[in-house]
Amino acid sequence: MIVFEFLCTLIGEHVLLRTIVGFVAPDLVELNLEHQWEKMEQKLANSLTMTVNEKKFVENALLSDIRVDGRRPFDYRNLTIRFGSEDGSSEVQLGQTQVIAFVTGQLVQPYRDRPNEGTFAIYTEFSPMADPSFEPGRPGDSAIELGRIVDRGLRESRAVDTESLCVIAGKLVWSIRIDLHIIDNGGNLVDAANIAALAALSTFRRPECTFGGEDGQELIVHPPDVREPLPLIIHHFPVAVTFGFIGKENIVVIDPTHYEEAVMGGSLTATLNTNGDVCAIQKAGGDGVLQSVIMQCLRIASVKAGDITSKIKNAVESYNTQRSLRKIKRHNPSSAVSNVAKHHAERLTLGANEVCVGNQSNEHDKMSERNSTTKGVSGGLASWDPNSQGVDADAWRDSLPCATPLDKYKEESSQVNPETKSAEQFSDTNSFASTHEATNIVSPEKQSKTLKDAVKPKRKRRNKSTSNAHAS
Amino acid sequence: MEAKPSSSSPSKFVDQLVVPGDVILDLSNMANQTLKLGGGLRQDGDSICVMKAGKLRFMKPNKYWVESSQKRYVPSAGDNVLGVVVDTKPENFLVDIKGPVLAFLPVLSFEGGTRRNIPKFEVGTLLYVRVINANTSMNPELSCMDANGKAAEYGVLKEGFMFESSTGLSRMLLSSPPHPVLEGLGKKLSFEIAVGINGRFWVNASQSSTVILVGNAIQKSESLSLVQQKIYLEKLLKSIQ
Repeated sequence: MIVFEFLCTLIGEHVLLRTIVGFVAPDLVELNLEHQWEKMEQKLANSLTMTVNEKKFVENALLSDIRVDGRRPFDYRNLTIRFGSEDGSSEVQLGQTQVIAFVTGQLVQPYRDRPNEGTFAIYTEFSPMADPSFEPGRPGDSAIELGRIVDRGLRESRAVDTESLCVIAGKLVWSIRIDLHIIDNGGNLVDAANIAALAALSTFRRPECTFGGEDGQELIVHPPDVREPLPLIIHHFPVAVTFGFIGKENIVVIDPTHYEEAVMGGSLTATLNTNGDVCAIQKAGGDGVLQSVIMQCLRIASVKAGDITSKIKNAVESYNTQRSLRKIKRHNPSSAVSNVAKHHAERLTLGANEVCVGNQSNEHDKMSERNSTTKGVSGGLASWDPNSQGVDADAWRDSLPCATPLDKYKEESSQVNPETKSAEQFSDTNSFASTHEATNIVSPEKQSKTLKDAVKPKRKRRNKSTSNAHAS
Repeated sequence: MEAKPSSSSPSKFVDQLVVPGDVILDLSNMANQTLKLGGGLRQDGDSICVMKAGKLRFMKPNKYWVESSQKRYVPSAGDNVLGVVVDTKPENFLVDIKGPVLAFLPVLSFEGGTRRNIPKFEVGTLLYVRVINANTSMNPELSCMDANGKAAEYGVLKEGFMFESSTGLSRMLLSSPPHPVLEGLGKKLSFEIAVGINGRFWVNASQSSTVILVGNAIQKSESLSLVQQKIYLEKLLKSIQ
């Protein structure tokens, strides 16, 4: 033993152990070395390998103000914001990058030093299917950094009103949890994740709580179908805008892609809102930049923040109108369907030529999914609500645009119109018409039976657009 | 000559999309025929079933295989691929070819390569190489020489930019008759292109804008049909002028 210790101090423990193990079990040592080699090789194979050509090319191209995907240095990629079927879930696509956000709430005890404020926490998950270098399990450095940036933007600027989340001071508050899942890494995860978090927070609804019970002291949490859940109070939208600095001259690009991120020397993320407040700035390492460059970046960021905020607000608004339509549909299925028919007819008379054979498969897909995703009006055929009155198969088949000639439709629509116009007055779901289209059309006979009694003098179709504005 | 029953060659699924589980041929009706099965097909007793989703292809007289398109590449011998040097070892270069494991490029497999003139590749060098052998349990082996030992265009690709694509797009770019977008762009612009069957292609031209245009046009044309490709190409060329 003493000899062992003495030898240890001389040679170094692990070397000694290795030699001893080497004598005793040479295979073990071999396996260990091989295992290490394999792990290293796997890591090399998984990380993005940039060629020297690419780095030089990106810099050269930027000298003539053009980027690899054809954008100019200060152009953002296409941004699409979609919502899931539940409140508080959003999916954002920024070019190739895809992020999903999910907001949930729970009643918990508040922190001791803030007894009348709710809490919120952000959890990020970098799914291995997003990038070969992402590993499952504990979040790596970049995951934690992303979470911190989004968190700082929301918390420090007090964008989410935490005091309204208090239920019983000192005992029960709402704890909001935001989960960010990275589905596809095409570069600039921070911006996409931030937008996803904002969109999800805007559409999240928490159940309403009141005091009740025999003594009025019991807390009742009302389920969503009993009492309408409440939205969160969000004062402003802190939007993150990321800049990359590429090359020796530190050329600035906005919204870097995966490739640009691999060649850039440094990056700066500025979180601002439309009021011109700078909520947070993140510049972690990388090349140094001049103060004037930073000021220029902040100015550009405020312009971009305005764009993005308006996009988020539009998407949230159309989601909200769809949501309220869904609620009304549940109470009044017949009027909703008649509205559907009327709108369908109108769509055909307006732009039936745009519907081509290719869309047929599109329709089938949309029919099968039940979620209330907001798509553009031109191509999108939204979900079919199973709560509506049943449609017989023949009427549905007839309604497929490609199968029937246009004239037959015009005929049907003119029949349907007088009845359906009266139906308008029953529901205030007129904004329904702008975002919601369905492929089922109820046969005219059914229409006339249910609404014949209720025929009121015709309203001009123009009113629909104005009442649209009222509803939304 | 022979009375062929309807279910015998060629299968009625040829040139159609098939999915795993489809039975494309029933051997009980065919007697004394030798079939060559390529990738994506498997013999299950008396039936030939599909293992990989893709398009079934047939070549006379008796070859069947399934063509599919993936983002990752399965190395197989004889392919010309674009690789990126990741590391150098005394005996070989470690090259990434978008496969499950790194490939080895022996330092001597260059034309006139001896121990004295081993090329110095830094990390990140782009190479056009040939796969010599690729067993599933070993790292694939590459070479910068053709079968006769000549250099024949293999080696380092300088300048330009490498774009990622899928294996299907690479095959389309290498097919004859040539890809319509490639042909159309080639008539108006001058550029050079190297296509690796592992889902990578490299474009070089005198101007960066040309490279970007060609690369993005090819990437975007992957999901378009032939007719749509022609329309897209026309619009693109008009907008250049």
